[in-house]
Amino acid sequence: MISTTAKKQIDNWIAKYPTDRKSSAVMEALKIVQAENENSLTPEAIQAVADYLDMPGISVAEVATFYENYNHRPVGKHTIRFCHNISCMLNGSDDLIAHLEKKLGVKTGEVTKDGLINVKKVECLGACVGAPMFQIGDQYYENLTADKIDEIVDGLK
Amino acid sequence: MNEVCFKTLDQKDPWSLKTYEANGGYSVWRKILKGEFTPEQIIDELKTSGLRGRGGAGFPTGLKWSFMPRNADMQKYVVCNSDEGEPGTCKDRDILRYNPHSVIEGMAIGGFVMNATKGYNYIRGEFMEPFYRFEGALKEAYAEGLLGENLYDSSVSFDLYTHLGAGAYICGEETALLESLEGKKGQPRFKPPFPANVGLFGMPTTINNTESFASVPDILAKGGQWFADIGVENSGGCKLFSVTGHVNEPANFEVPMGTSFKDLLEMAGGVREGHTLKAVIPGGSSTPVLTAEAAMAMTMDYDGIEKAGSMLGAGSVIIMDDSTCMVETLTRLAHFYYDESCGQCTPCREGTGWLYRVLKRIMDGNGKADDIDLLMGVQDKIMGNTICALGDAAAMPVESFLRNFRKEFEYYIEHGKSMVKG
Amino acid sequence: MADIEIEIDGNIINAKAGEMLIAVTDREGISVPRFCYHKKLSIAANCRMCLVDVEGAPKPQPACSTPISDGMKIHTQNDKAKASQKAVMEFLLINHPLDCPICDQGGECELQDVAMDHGSDVSRFTEGKRIVADSDIGALIQTDMTRCIHCTRCVRFGAEVAGIMEMGGTGRGEDMKIEPFLAEGIQSELSGNMIDVCPVGALTSKPFRYELRSWQMNAVSNVARHDLVGSNIYTQTYKGRVKRIVAKDNESVNETWISDRDRFSYEGLSHENRLLVPKIKVEGAWQEVEWNVALDFAVRGLEKNVRQADQLGALSSNTATLEEFYLLQKILRGTGSENIDHRLNVKDIDNTISLESNIKLAGLEGVDHALVIGSNLRLEQPMINHRLRKASLSGASIDVINAMAFDFNYRINSENIIAPNQTALTLASILKSVLKSAHTEVPEYLGNAEVTEIATQLANQLTDSDNSVIILGEHVINNPQALSISNLISEIAQKTNSTILNVSATANSMAAGLAHFVPGKGGLDVNAMLAANLNAYILLDIYPQYDFHHSVQAIEALSNDDTFVISLNSFKDDVVSEYSDVLLPIASFYETSGSHVNVEGKVQSFTAAVNAPSDAKPAWKVLKVLADLLELPGFHYADSMQVTSEIMHKSYKQHVHDENIDITVKRGVNVIWQKSPYAVDVLSRHAVSLQDTKIGQINSASMNKATAKKLEITQGDNYLGVPVSISESVANSCVFVNANHAIRGQS
Ligand SMILES: Cc1cc2nc3c(=O)[nH]c(=O)nc-3n(C[C@H](O)[C@H](O)[C@H](O)COP(=O)(O)O)c2cc1C
Ligand code: SF4
Ligand code: FES
Repeated sequence: MISTTAKKQIDNWIAKYPTDRKSSAVMEALKIVQAENENSLTPEAIQAVADYLDMPGISVAEVATFYENYNHRPVGKHTIRFCHNISCMLNGSDDLIAHLEKKLGVKTGEVTKDGLINVKKVECLGACVGAPMFQIGDQYYENLTADKIDEIVDGLK
Repeated sequence: MNEVCFKTLDQKDPWSLKTYEANGGYSVWRKILKGEFTPEQIIDELKTSGLRGRGGAGFPTGLKWSFMPRNADMQKYVVCNSDEGEPGTCKDRDILRYNPHSVIEGMAIGGFVMNATKGYNYIRGEFMEPFYRFEGALKEAYAEGLLGENLYDSSVSFDLYTHLGAGAYICGEETALLESLEGKKGQPRFKPPFPANVGLFGMPTTINNTESFASVPDILAKGGQWFADIGVENSGGCKLFSVTGHVNEPANFEVPMGTSFKDLLEMAGGVREGHTLKAVIPGGSSTPVLTAEAAMAMTMDYDGIEKAGSMLGAGSVIIMDDSTCMVETLTRLAHFYYDESCGQCTPCREGTGWLYRVLKRIMDGNGKADDIDLLMGVQDKIMGNTICALGDAAAMPVESFLRNFRKEFEYYIEHGKSMVKG
Repeated sequence: MADIEIEIDGNIINAKAGEMLIAVTDREGISVPRFCYHKKLSIAANCRMCLVDVEGAPKPQPACSTPISDGMKIHTQNDKAKASQKAVMEFLLINHPLDCPICDQGGECELQDVAMDHGSDVSRFTEGKRIVADSDIGALIQTDMTRCIHCTRCVRFGAEVAGIMEMGGTGRGEDMKIEPFLAEGIQSELSGNMIDVCPVGALTSKPFRYELRSWQMNAVSNVARHDLVGSNIYTQTYKGRVKRIVAKDNESVNETWISDRDRFSYEGLSHENRLLVPKIKVEGAWQEVEWNVALDFAVRGLEKNVRQADQLGALSSNTATLEEFYLLQKILRGTGSENIDHRLNVKDIDNTISLESNIKLAGLEGVDHALVIGSNLRLEQPMINHRLRKASLSGASIDVINAMAFDFNYRINSENIIAPNQTALTLASILKSVLKSAHTEVPEYLGNAEVTEIATQLANQLTDSDNSVIILGEHVINNPQALSISNLISEIAQKTNSTILNVSATANSMAAGLAHFVPGKGGLDVNAMLAANLNAYILLDIYPQYDFHHSVQAIEALSNDDTFVISLNSFKDDVVSEYSDVLLPIASFYETSGSHVNVEGKVQSFTAAVNAPSDAKPAWKVLKVLADLLELPGFHYADSMQVTSEIMHKSYKQHVHDENIDITVKRGVNVIWQKSPYAVDVLSRHAVSLQDTKIGQINSASMNKATAKKLEITQGDNYLGVPVSISESVANSCVFVNANHAIRGQS
């Protein structure tokens, strides 16, 4: 369930914490395992992480369902995480989200037919001076306009 | 402007060790390693400087550091709070991106003062660019021998690690952050015991905000009095303000405490052409909203903002012009707290959803005449009744929006549409 | 901690600095509402129901998590406190279904009670209530999670007490859901306690579901007899039937908890297999008769068949009450026979464990080291295991010597999986190490024992601990060197200053000892009786295929044509019918008064909660009448209490220390035979819901590959009638049989 490379990555995180505190690495472990399982976590994946870190399955499930950045349903290859909190809203994020939905032909929460993209409305991502903004993968895109969005989205493969 | 945390901002590779050291960086740390500073001296300087926690609560940093049982015979920790999730706040991200070494040095100094040989910087999970930048800086610092064990053959050791969040505003609350660092859900702990006694992994721990740590090296390099003198009574030094919303040039500004709001607004290019200022949230979404009038008369320091009827918080100044529908804005904020409540305490778990649903109903045109009283009643019942301050943070905007802009809510309820947007 | 004075609602109260306020108000009888607080669980402070006003504090403070300090002034009833409590109550109720009339918790719901006192009449919440989907969490606990108030007591119970975290809070905020991770069903042997801790109707008893309201039932204090603890319980009854069992607090016995076996076995009481009317066998055919006819038949049968006193034998199961054991042995001794025994499952009585426990249950919590030998303690003695778990949590190191690896719910320092034929040698090696490091002379019989590294470690643990205990379990009963093992243990305990806890014979076997229900001078033990072809037996609640070690021989002996058998049974059984001549229906658990004697020797008496069904009678009464009919003197008892007090005035010293120690390793495959945890006695075997749990389905003959090869069997075969399971967690040359001959059917 967890590849050797993933295990190595997880081990790097485990090394940061006291030896009897492996479970501190659970958040990153879930992230790593999610990344190699089409960006979502199945109960089996959660159990695998639990086994790897010697944690009860339910404790890992608690973490996996508490934090926003884990998925429990299939998502697109790219998730566009669009901030719709106050600073972005004041700068027109609602209209831009509508624009994006129209462009992709999906509502937030849905995945495009080709499985490439889904849009998620998220709370403040801490880049309010660059509002409106969204995140794809590790990357922030700020000061968005409809044109800019088109260009970014068209570049997604 | 930009004298402390943003000192290197305009220079080449502002994040590099080279740039940092060229600006006097690590001089304090090196002195410490040579034994030229005592923990007591440092705490005194911090107390003199008037530095107050930049994470939102404004607790005096020197005092906080003095609470740690530094002589207790057990592992102690310093933890940096880079979870930055308060809507409107985006300053720590820039410190991490442009001046990571100041955080490292600040944390190392904290470690020395509190006899804590290990530190963690908890960075919110979305901040990958800042994370890599900070990791890069850590590498440089280790390579230079500034971090690790028995540094420069002294008895001082300090190891620093990063930890990444995974998307939960509540993890900015310091004890939720500790839970999260321990690999659990981010549910705040009740206090007492306080982290200074029982913190990370059950050990004494001090938690400070990124900006707080980043301010420490300069304070010690130039003296507490120097820092205090930049600011005003009760609010020492300079502070980063994130000015966002309806301004022409939204940005982070590091300005002296006590700067007038008017000047700050001007630095951000003023409100948009053809619009007038309507309302200001001065410290992040959790602080009460102010009318334009109250804001224009205020100075940007703890007492000044309090006098105007709000709080300095994390220094996140959200500007709203006359095109803003206050019902819509509050609904959005209420949604935020509803979404982010950890679910632990009854009033917050149940109350935030109640607030949001009533507001949403009003927005949908189904408001009832007594909804304003209901909202006031519900926020009042959350206020003060929860383990952590998220409950209060959810209640305060509701109270202040309704108090300051009641008419707009009444109009929406009566007409089923916005007074502003129609 | 320092004694301080605080003021609560205007009254000065003495307390200890640092105590939580709620502990003080509880002690003083001041009522502070609460949901998440539970005295045996960690503090969560999440429900916010216990908010009170502390002078000087800007916000109301939760009584459950506010440590008190000198001079504190607290108001539990003033406007500020009341407003907070009312606010919290309103929030709790907005998403809680107000369907008390159809809720199983109705009438015993903490939420309902507190709402009456602290709620407001009308809720202004009109936004639509949260509905939570339920998952099936097993046969014992019914969930209705829409009713859950997220107090997390069940979660904390699992993590802290049961020691397996099964329930958790998934999701966040309003969507937080209390649930197990995988819908496999709850596995803990203590799971039913979650029902007790849940303040609302979210977790209720599945077998009890929809039956009744608490206020319709009578609650009678009782004592459970399935194990050596004698957990205190309330039997809740309605119209003469036991409907539910809940825990009764007794700090020194079971604290606040009971095992699932104690909680749910009552279901067996109403099983269709109950024996309801007296019967006699006339010319091979059974006739249902009146009691007097049956007893008369029994007495005449004895008179006819027992021509010499020593031709009569009495055997009893281990679940009999103290008084039953006593009366039956008194009858036997009254007629002049010493053929009395209850050790039906022992292969060789001359070679069995004799060890006296010398530690209290509560004392177990305080040990700093334990050596467990031959026990799957968690499933055998759940409450004893719980005490040991507490010791472990506060730092005790626990070592194990077993023939198979089991799933302990605490950290084991070293788990030594050792073949049964090596046990004696291993203990000898430990003893030798102990003696050597104390520079004491090593006796000759230890000559061959080599002091291994493991033995040294185990020996050092025992020697270096201030307060260690050696726990001896069931698996050693039929070890070919059982006697040597028990003698070695008592030597080791003595030399290392350790206490002993002997849990090798369970249920109410301590009572059998106290009642001297063992052969006296010249008497025969169980195996000798069966071999001697006695002419008559009185058997007390025996089911031979489950109870006897030598069950085939037993059935054969009892089935002799010229053997007259009087059987007192609570349940029907074909084999019993086959060999008996008289069948007397007796009361089962909770249907009779009597006493249980627990492992520390504590005698706990109880009264009947209900009458036995139909014509069945408490065995002590049947035995008394039988004695009267046999014209034996000294049976003038008006109630069972008189029997009890007679017993308490006698004392038998039965253990003779035998210095025989043999540590030579015997070759061959050893079988450790044990009933499954939920098939330990006739009542639990008939409890249908228990059988549907994971534990209830344990039924396997476990052995490793090498042993299987030696025995020429493979996975899927049966061994001794039990499915073979190949597992490397079993010691070499050992078959560990956990047999579950549960009886399915209607109850
Ligand atoms: C709901 C909530 C969210 C918070 N989020 C943050 C945050 O993102 N960053 C931060 O530094 N402090 C945050 N805080 C404040 C911290 O709890 C804590 O006071 C702070 O990290 C202490 O550091 P300081 O003394 O340097 O300000 C938050 C508090 C609450 C109640
Ligand atoms: S199920 Fe019961 S015990 Fe568990 S959290 Fe919900 S209300 Fe509390
Ligand atoms: S009982 Fe105190 S907060 Fe729940």
